[in-house]
Amino acid sequence: MRIHDYGEMNLHDLDVMREIGSIGTGHAATSLSQMLQKEVRITFPQIKILGYDEAVESIGGNVEEIVGATLVKMDDDINGIMLFLFNLELANTVFEKMMGMTYPSFEQFDEMAYSAMTEIGNIIICSYVNAFTEFVDLNISLSVPSSCVSMLGAILEVPIAEYGYETDKLMYCTADFVIDGKTYRDWLLMLPDIASLNNILKKLGVD
Amino acid sequence: MKLTRGQGEIITYALGSCIGIVFYDPFLKLGALLHIMLPVRQNKDDPNLMKYADTGLTETIRKMTAFGMLKSRVIVKIAGGAKMFEISGNASFGNIGERNAAAVREILKKEGFRIAAEDCGANYARTMSLDVATGDVVIKSSGRPEKHL
Repeated sequence: MRIHDYGEMNLHDLDVMREIGSIGTGHAATSLSQMLQKEVRITFPQIKILGYDEAVESIGGNVEEIVGATLVKMDDDINGIMLFLFNLELANTVFEKMMGMTYPSFEQFDEMAYSAMTEIGNIIICSYVNAFTEFVDLNISLSVPSSCVSMLGAILEVPIAEYGYETDKLMYCTADFVIDGKTYRDWLLMLPDIASLNNILKKLGVD
Repeated sequence: MKLTRGQGEIITYALGSCIGIVFYDPFLKLGALLHIMLPVRQNKDDPNLMKYADTGLTETIRKMTAFGMLKSRVIVKIAGGAKMFEISGNASFGNIGERNAAAVREILKKEGFRIAAEDCGANYARTMSLDVATGDVVIKSSGRPEKHL
């Protein structure tokens, strides 16, 4: 392994990861756009190497904010976590299109809402992962999706606790979605572990 | 870890799989709130003692003792250790909360502390606060009534 800590990535490595993020996010936005039948734009993806506090700050700042999240775990050639976050507005926009109904608050979410949220997250995440696995030619198996509605801080704690023994900081491949002129910041996160990061870079001939 | 005496409130926000541990000495009105993320410090060079249950608890107990805490009158309360995501077919993923809670209970027992109250497990995030003047521990979580431990 060439890289032992995310901080050791050079500019070239970051560029490569940004490109992968760009491909993945582009496909994810396309599938979201198809679901919503609306134009979905993405901003230039970013690679951020952040600790927990910085990650919360970068996403929205309020650790107690209630958000929905879908998580899918990646295994095999790449180990890591994919997270897609929903605020109520985004969830309702999709629900309205899919089921013709909306929910006034996260507390009123029923089985149907959870199930729909899991499925939407899953579709978006899978199109992201499919696009970039094709590009890097690696074999990734995805777990079944899982959703929860909880405080933002507690959700971002999940990958940090999962990889807490390896590193204090995590690499976040993120991009902003723009739907109807409204920006959703950093709602799609890819978090590969260190060994996988090395795998990707090696496969793409960056050594 | 936060420690204060006399009056004031100490809070730790959005405990998911992490555990918040309150130590409170009602005689001195001395309180500490520790927030741990993982059970054991495996890398002995890691300077971040408060991230782990084993080193974090030892360090907190040491500091509280230095401020005059007596084991015989201290009240210990814990909260957190939730399982945020449930992935079917992968039981080991995300059960870090349960392991955290088990580690905290075991260490406290070994050190001779009794847990007066706890609110652990389930699948929701908690914000934990301690009012140092009264020793009141409040757990807030979304969509649920406030809980006084």
